[in-house]
Amino acid sequence: MQLAIDTADARPIETQIVDEVRRALALGALEPGTPLPPVRTMAAELRVNPGAVARAYQVLQEQGVVEMRWGHGPVVARPSGASEDRAALAKRVAERALREARRHGVTPRELAEALRLAAASERPAERSEHASEPVRTPGNPSSRD
Amino acid sequence: MTSALPVRLTEGPFAAATQGLAKRFGRDFALLGVDLQVPEGAVYVLVGPNGAGKTTTLKLLLGLYTPDAGDVRVLGLDPRTQGPLVRAQVGYVPERGDWGYGYMTVGRLLEHHAAYFPRWDWQYAHRLAGAFNVGLDRRVGRLSKGVTRRVHLILAMAHRPPLLLLDEPTDGLDPVMRDETLGMLAGHVAETGCTVVISTHLVHEVDRLADHLGVMRDGRLTAQMPREVLHHNLRRYRAEVPVDWNGAPRLNGTVIRRGGVGREIQWSVWGDEREVARLLAESGATVRDAAPLTLEDAAVALLSRKD
Repeated sequence: MQLAIDTADARPIETQIVDEVRRALALGALEPGTPLPPVRTMAAELRVNPGAVARAYQVLQEQGVVEMRWGHGPVVARPSGASEDRAALAKRVAERALREARRHGVTPRELAEALRLAAASERPAERSEHASEPVRTPGNPSSRD
Repeated sequence: MTSALPVRLTEGPFAAATQGLAKRFGRDFALLGVDLQVPEGAVYVLVGPNGAGKTTTLKLLLGLYTPDAGDVRVLGLDPRTQGPLVRAQVGYVPERGDWGYGYMTVGRLLEHHAAYFPRWDWQYAHRLAGAFNVGLDRRVGRLSKGVTRRVHLILAMAHRPPLLLLDEPTDGLDPVMRDETLGMLAGHVAETGCTVVISTHLVHEVDRLADHLGVMRDGRLTAQMPREVLHHNLRRYRAEVPVDWNGAPRLNGTVIRRGGVGREIQWSVWGDEREVARLLAESGATVRDAAPLTLEDAAVALLSRKD
């Protein structure tokens, strides 16, 4: 299991681990019952501070995403691909886009409009690269063809 | 508004701590009153430009130098009077790897070294040598800089000491070997729970491992703090300012770095985000964004601070 940790990302490493596990869960890449590596293994694989891994596992346990098994690493507890996970994932992406927009002096309305236009002009090949299922964008003319 | 960057840690106990530490070489002061505090179990990254005093600090912790003033405690011992006891419990990777053992093979050097450490673990030493791809039959004097570094890391780690002092440990390693070394180090820390002090002028190389940051400049420790304190208190603010803006005098002393283009300023400021944003707004600026910095950006900002 190789999660993507990015030091150019200002989010704390434990937050990145939590988000990556939840993303894998939302996309169905992690099934319930899948064990996550013990702290030591995960820290060595990701080349990160073991404390950050331990804190991430703690948060995931509190969120009910994983269960701790004594003497082992955590095990994925929740069924994957749940719709609320996808919604939560989309919300996080949206929040990040909003922050980026604000930084550039772009209003939420301008961003939403630009997103609609960009999605409409996306070529089908690009769409299939990004998602396994078609992107549903209400009011997008190209989603009907 | 409080301006000072944190220079004291509240968490203890400390695996290594100094108070008012000063060291002079001839007429030049290398250290001028350093209060270093390394909590037990921390991965403490000591960052600073070459010549800031990082190596001198590590050598004082080991008792290899005698301080001109101040106190040093390492693992509850005083390196001035208990140097050998300290060094027996510390894994040290020196900045320069020129021993007088060039004639030995790596294997012979390990045997020589193991004799000084009762807790030397041969199985682990061989595992490290394998992982670091270091041949035990090679002659020490003919090793490249990168391989020498890896031999030093084996010597430092194989007796599983409670404290590792690593002086530029990734210096001379190629990117793949650096990556693997950091993996070994992360695993080592998780397994042994040891405390690590890493001195470097390249923060990004050890960014993922760090949980504490100490900033050294000109023989002084200008800031030290846990990573999360840095994350929460140092933010880069983007704001639009009026044409005839007079700055934000109430933020004086807390602005770590000033930048920007035209009417948009980009300031790295230390302090509570809401408080800083309020003071910026009061000065007439329209704050667009307050973003946390990566560890590397934060270190660069703290190092380039104009006092």
